[in-house]
Amino acid sequence: MSAPFTLRKIGVPPNSANLTEARRRVFDFFRAACRSLPTVMDIYNLQDVVAPSQLRFAISAQIRNNAHITDPKVIDLLLFKGMEELTDIVDHAKQRHHIIGQYVVGEGLVQNTGSKDQGKSDFLKNFYTSNYF
Amino acid sequence: MALRAAVLRHLRVPVQKLTVSGSNQSQIGFLASIRSFSSHDDHLSKQDVVDRVLDVVKSFPKVDPAKCHTNHLSFSRFLRLVDQFVVTTNPQVTPDVHFQKDLGLDSLDTVEIVMAIEEEFKLEIPDKEADKIDSCSLAIEYVFNHPMSS
Repeated sequence: MSAPFTLRKIGVPPNSANLTEARRRVFDFFRAACRSLPTVMDIYNLQDVVAPSQLRFAISAQIRNNAHITDPKVIDLLLFKGMEELTDIVDHAKQRHHIIGQYVVGEGLVQNTGSKDQGKSDFLKNFYTSNYF
Repeated sequence: MALRAAVLRHLRVPVQKLTVSGSNQSQIGFLASIRSFSSHDDHLSKQDVVDRVLDVVKSFPKVDPAKCHTNHLSFSRFLRLVDQFVVTTNPQVTPDVHFQKDLGLDSLDTVEIVMAIEEEFKLEIPDKEADKIDSCSLAIEYVFNHPMSS
């Protein structure tokens, strides 16, 4: 598997001095993720399922979820987790249904969007996301 | 061998000087400009670059005149929202539009557009240059001046 873009471990050292540096790291991570998209689509055979622009949108949506955070250390930790996830995906440690369920079809697992669950309680809808609601 | 040489010595073949006439010269000049096997002559025309960059910007999901901003927006829901407004020709997206000021996008969207442009033209833009690309006109200029864009 020879990818034209090799995933350089941007490797987040645990200290961003200030918010601007953390911001720069976020953009670097986003660029690395976008550049590894052709490899991902190739590995998991997503050519007919989704377009790279949709995956880019999904990645940016996830980054935007945490856009309100101002503490550089928290941002570093989130970047570390994001980097870990990206490495797992590029190393083929995940499988196709993981990618489709998590990044292609809406938020969360495929189960939530089934029509038979629409009228059920909020408890079941939030069951997979967290314990506290 | 010797016989051949002897015979050839006695044969005179009239040799014509091939002068390149005027029409031939222009023809050869014209043919020389189409080097079909060379990859160095396929630079994009400016209009081509402008059209493709505008297509990339217009197909960005957040660019539409109605400007619906909601959080936790999934891609399919957003496309449905855009379809409701039937945006085929985006009146706001001109070749000199600024991503953040005119289209109301934020910095993450700017990076995403630059990545979409990278994908479209098969380039790899270094980070320092990518940070400077803030508007359509800068993007068009960069792509046009890049020797590897295709």
